[in-house]
Amino acid sequence: MTYWGQLFGLAPGTPQVLVASFALLCTYGVVILPSAALMSYLERKVGADLQARVGPNRAGPWGMFQPIADLLKLLQKESIGHRPWGEELWLAVHTMALYSTVAVLPLGSTVLLINTDMSAFLPFWAALVLALGTMLLGLNQRSIPGWFGGIRVAAQALAGAFPALITILTAGIRGGGFRWSELAGAQGTLPTSWVAFSSPFEFVAFLVFVSSGLVLLGVAPFDGGLSTSDIHGGVSSRLNGQRFSLFRLGRFYGFFLWSIIAVVLFLGAWNIPARVHNMLTENSGTFIVQILELAVLLSKTFGLMLVVVWVARVNPRVRSDQITDLTWKVLSPLSLLTLVGTAIWVSWGHIL
Amino acid sequence: MRSEITESSAECLHTDLTLWEVGPYHGMLPGPMRLRLRLDGEIVVHGEFETGFLHRGLEKCFEQQPWRTVVPYADHLDPEAAVFGELALCLAVEEIGAITVPPRAQTIRILLSELSRISAHLIYMVRVARAVGSETMVHYVLRDREKILDLFELLAGARFSLNFLRFGGVRADVTEGFIERVLEVGDLIRLRLKEYNDLFTFNRAFLKRAAHVGVISQEAARRQGVTGPNARAAGIAWDIRKTHPYTAYELFDFEIPQGRGQFGTRGDAHDRFLLRLREISQSLEILKQAADFIPKGVFHSEKFDPSAVLPPGEAYVRIESSRGLLGCHVVSDGGDKPCRVQFRTPSLSNISLIPELVEGVRIEDLPLILASLDISIPEVDR
Repeated sequence: MTYWGQLFGLAPGTPQVLVASFALLCTYGVVILPSAALMSYLERKVGADLQARVGPNRAGPWGMFQPIADLLKLLQKESIGHRPWGEELWLAVHTMALYSTVAVLPLGSTVLLINTDMSAFLPFWAALVLALGTMLLGLNQRSIPGWFGGIRVAAQALAGAFPALITILTAGIRGGGFRWSELAGAQGTLPTSWVAFSSPFEFVAFLVFVSSGLVLLGVAPFDGGLSTSDIHGGVSSRLNGQRFSLFRLGRFYGFFLWSIIAVVLFLGAWNIPARVHNMLTENSGTFIVQILELAVLLSKTFGLMLVVVWVARVNPRVRSDQITDLTWKVLSPLSLLTLVGTAIWVSWGHIL
Repeated sequence: MRSEITESSAECLHTDLTLWEVGPYHGMLPGPMRLRLRLDGEIVVHGEFETGFLHRGLEKCFEQQPWRTVVPYADHLDPEAAVFGELALCLAVEEIGAITVPPRAQTIRILLSELSRISAHLIYMVRVARAVGSETMVHYVLRDREKILDLFELLAGARFSLNFLRFGGVRADVTEGFIERVLEVGDLIRLRLKEYNDLFTFNRAFLKRAAHVGVISQEAARRQGVTGPNARAAGIAWDIRKTHPYTAYELFDFEIPQGRGQFGTRGDAHDRFLLRLREISQSLEILKQAADFIPKGVFHSEKFDPSAVLPPGEAYVRIESSRGLLGCHVVSDGGDKPCRVQFRTPSLSNISLIPELVEGVRIEDLPLILASLDISIPEVDR
């Protein structure tokens, strides 16, 4: 918190609420929105390359301004028809649940707004509330697609929650706690020192964590609730224009959040080599270190997201009942196994 | 096609049943049509369909044209594989008028038919892939189908409505370099088939989606008059090209693949998909033989005299289109216009399977089942 105060040049006595608000706005405007734009561009361009297509190439050089053009177009579309008040309400709840997690977003060693013993669990609860909001958003549309979309989202969220929770526990074993600083401190810069590659159990835990997160949030290929072929978009079938861009941005943020958490828990967080860290802190101050850490974190996050997009593009959409089947019958037992396995593995190391 | 909910479904009526009308425009439908579904949760309890949204009075159009201008109308029977409509019409008219077709023209017709069959099967794969949300497959297959459309353009100048067949032959001789390009494209598609298999056909996620889904039994296929790949996938090895050869198909060496149910039940959606892949490879075999031994000579028996009239009479011919048995009944009263032209289309049999196939399936499987039936709405509505 003190760092944020310094960053905005606020006097030491400024109320913490004010500093926190500045910090949230700054994170949202500087990290999340540009990331959404960049990721949507990368997703489309890399996806096009994978599919032997051209992809966006009209707006700006190599179509780089396509996300902005899309956003402007969606913003100026007028909304159609009468909407039930419930839909408005739940879209708002959905969005608020989502962005409440900006405060716990781990973006680097110095900018952690909330660094408590429960930090790693907060995004998890947010994801659950998000699923609830999405479900009610669908149910309030009073249409069959929205209804089934909502039900599928809820079923998937319930199924995905358990393995996700257990694998967060697994990830905390090596760090000895669930503070972001502890989780990141337990890992190094090199992949060999990342939690995911420390033991076979933790590697499986990493895979389970990522896939159960995709199930929990309904990200492709586990997006039965938003399937276009049968229920033409499900929950989002009746959203358009500004509401749709809000919803889309929300979906992106959920995916982004989960990938960041996966990187922090399993893929070495924001760690840069200690030598570089010390040298930069002495010579150029914390700001440069923070930027570098953020860059490391975000590039790993985008890498992970692109891998997920790649898998989703190639594979057919999995049917919702098969998703919940997989999650309850395969991912859940696996997550318990990794918890026990990692605990034994790590304590064995301590004994030796 | 409207019918009230039958007694059998009335027995399982619960208070939580929902009625869902899909269409006439919806992504899961093969074209403009309507599905009326009774749902119990996500399970379809009862389904009905309604067609007629694309009725163009096509068969009536034939009756208003002089003989020499009817062929392009046959293109619109099934825009995805236009040649089959033309071929059926031409064969029927040739039978009435006792017009002989020179061997070179017959081989060109076979080349076009098999290219169309491959193109239609590729589009089928696109629709199945799209139904399960496998985007990459969609783009790969569409890319390769362009190659076949290029061949059509090279030969006839058009990519879809070819208007290339004439009574007694074809409109023009093959373009220079066409045969070589057919062979090239054939080799390319043979390579691609392996790629499709690795990417999609044997993809575990697709197998889980498509195996045991939408099973057509032999009995159901016979009852509804289902023919073509759908019937062959159900185990009925019946192909007009073999049983009643036309256009010199008897000279070619090819096999009729049959559904084996390797990955699920015989006649399920995956079997139908796999069977199309195997048919493509048989079509490539025919193309290769046709291209290698294309007879020399004229491409047209004699110019069809614009003022000529056909003798009175009627003929019914059957050909194997990409979707199954396509029948064409032409009646001539000796006038300058056809008296009656009727088609027996395979899609109509396929679409009539919908009510029994959708019963008891999940909504998420509906797009796949509909896509795997290979229904062409223009063919159904005409």
